[in-house]
Amino acid sequence: MKNLLVAATAAMSLMASTAYADNLKIGASLPLTGGFSIAGEKHQLGYQLCVDMINERGGILGRQVDLIISDNRSDTATAINQYERFINVDGVEAVFGTFSSRLSFPVANILAKNGFVHPLPAGGALRIYTQGHKNIFYFQPNVAEYVGATLKGIIEDLIPEGEAPSTVAVVAADDFFANAVEAGLLGLEVTDPADGSLVADLAPGFLISTGIEVVYTEKWPEEGFNDWLNLANSIKRSGAELIVGLTASAEEAVQLTRALKTVGATPKLVYLSQGTQSEYLEGTGDAAEGVLVHTSWHKDVNFQSVLSGEAFSNSDFVAAYQAANGDVPDEDSAIPFAVCQGIEQAIIGAGSTDNAAMGEWLTARTKDAPVQTVLGRFHWDERGLPINKPYIMTQWNGGELQFVYPTDEFEGASKMTYPKGKF
Amino acid sequence: MSNIIQVLILGLALGGVFSLMGAGLSLVFGVMRIVNLAHPSLIIAGAYIAYWPFKLWGVDPLVMLPVATVIMAAIGVLLYKLVFEREAKSAKYSEMTVLLTFAVAMIVEGALGGMFTNTQRVTSPSYATEAIFIGDIFIPTGQLYAGIISIAIISALALFLKYSRFGNAIRATTQNRDAAQLLGVNVNLVGVVSFAIGIGLAGAAGVLVSFVFAFFPAKHWEWIAILMSLVVLGGMGSILGTVLAAFMLSVVAAFVGAYIGATWSTMTFFLALFIILLVRPQGLFGEKPELA
Repeated sequence: MKNLLVAATAAMSLMASTAYADNLKIGASLPLTGGFSIAGEKHQLGYQLCVDMINERGGILGRQVDLIISDNRSDTATAINQYERFINVDGVEAVFGTFSSRLSFPVANILAKNGFVHPLPAGGALRIYTQGHKNIFYFQPNVAEYVGATLKGIIEDLIPEGEAPSTVAVVAADDFFANAVEAGLLGLEVTDPADGSLVADLAPGFLISTGIEVVYTEKWPEEGFNDWLNLANSIKRSGAELIVGLTASAEEAVQLTRALKTVGATPKLVYLSQGTQSEYLEGTGDAAEGVLVHTSWHKDVNFQSVLSGEAFSNSDFVAAYQAANGDVPDEDSAIPFAVCQGIEQAIIGAGSTDNAAMGEWLTARTKDAPVQTVLGRFHWDERGLPINKPYIMTQWNGGELQFVYPTDEFEGASKMTYPKGKF
Repeated sequence: MSNIIQVLILGLALGGVFSLMGAGLSLVFGVMRIVNLAHPSLIIAGAYIAYWPFKLWGVDPLVMLPVATVIMAAIGVLLYKLVFEREAKSAKYSEMTVLLTFAVAMIVEGALGGMFTNTQRVTSPSYATEAIFIGDIFIPTGQLYAGIISIAIISALALFLKYSRFGNAIRATTQNRDAAQLLGVNVNLVGVVSFAIGIGLAGAAGVLVSFVFAFFPAKHWEWIAILMSLVVLGGMGSILGTVLAAFMLSVVAAFVGAYIGATWSTMTFFLALFIILLVRPQGLFGEKPELA
């Protein structure tokens, strides 16, 4: 009897390990702690929800998916090491990208070296895509350098002539992403940090081409900055009618908004690069009213997509996320969900987890045969940047994040509040 | 001219907050030679004690000040008993405390993240984003309240240290632990109480921080270097020195930020640390180390 039990236990263990071995492992290094942890945790929820839903529907190519997520502590070296470990130790067959340009830039080299498809949920700096990698695919509308086009569009399309702001203060974190947005707005040159070669000359920049005079620019260090009131005071004293705050994190967006309220700034328009999260509203309260924030995703833009070969709408995603997490998602969960959808479709399209075949399948996507995600349809140019995808501009109104631009691309755009006035 | 006055006010306001954040760190080092790298993480723990009652029931953070102080002081006693007491007689005690408190900081960060997630938090009583305007000049009420309360707490601590019997014992232990013990001071008890006061101050500072800065568990890494620069400039163990250093560096950083660039304002603290270690390693009010 004892021998029978031992044999049964051994057989069950073997079956379990065989089943486990057949699972499809996907690795993702995320900043679950450290400076990017707010977005990192939400990325984890997005990835996990997608994988759970795929597994409930039978997995990918009949295989259950094991998602391995490691915390890189918002540290570049750790992120690199973790992707190396996923590939060389854990034996993953595919990866999901990490959060932020700072972490994605070096990770891109590791994944290219190992021939892995690199789907990026966040990594908007143009420099990431000009390194010559052929395996990289960005799952947001465009690189950060071109975000300013949406702000320009708002000023030209939504504000009556003669009432537009005439002066602007541009303040930015000294961060990969924020610097990239700033370069586009101010028309700066983007250079390759390795050899100083010119990547792009963005002159004259979206602000100057809109006819707005830049009266104040300032940068704060990437970490450890506390003097927000002093910065806000300088912005106020510049008299700028448009305030552009290029923050690297939602926390900085909260700090800057609160400081602008405290000093009594009264701009006509405020645009921030972060601040779609519910935590932003909680931290700023009424001061958020009228603040514009660009986003890649909005709950009311009902993109139609595909999950496990079945139709899956943006509304389905919102409902599933709420059921799983008890909260309305924001773009930090929607974007990784879209990355996961993209990889699932690539594996199904390629018929295997051969990353070269997956890369070829993704590269072959066209306007009529795109990857379909909760962020909409994607096909990419030779650099891995999406073609013809506009950013969505949102505005906090009445405690709700409404999308206000573009007005002709999606149904349901709300009217933009202008001018903002006091915080 | 008005901007110079304004920048001075903002620097002083920031200094008021930093002074209480650094005071507990200085006290703990002064009495016990513990280089408490976990101090900022305990400040954040104190901030959470203010945050949740505000979030759930709208309790003003300042109401939670005594509560947070007492809770964190109790945690300080536990921490001392569990982590530091057994190593107190080690020849390399101070060096060991660097590693021990580093580990404590990691544990506190992990525990806070596990309990409250890593998302940012901030309390928003109305005064946190209001200001008193006098012509062109404004005084931010949140930082004003935080600064006044900081000075009040530090003054009370100074009076306690100077005029109470136990305060004298703490000061004696700070100056010479062995001599104090020979004279009958229960240095172990002094150690426990001082550590508890230090961590209690972290709790109080956390309450003030909760409405001045957004915070999350990992935020403490951004503060430790700044706080250490205040303690070193003031003189390791000198609370008065730490307070003066907090005001001096915050004002200098404010002027650097306003007239040179915000990028350089944070650098002010590190530059001061570098210079003071080169020129006067004992700090403004510290004792010159004896030569072997």
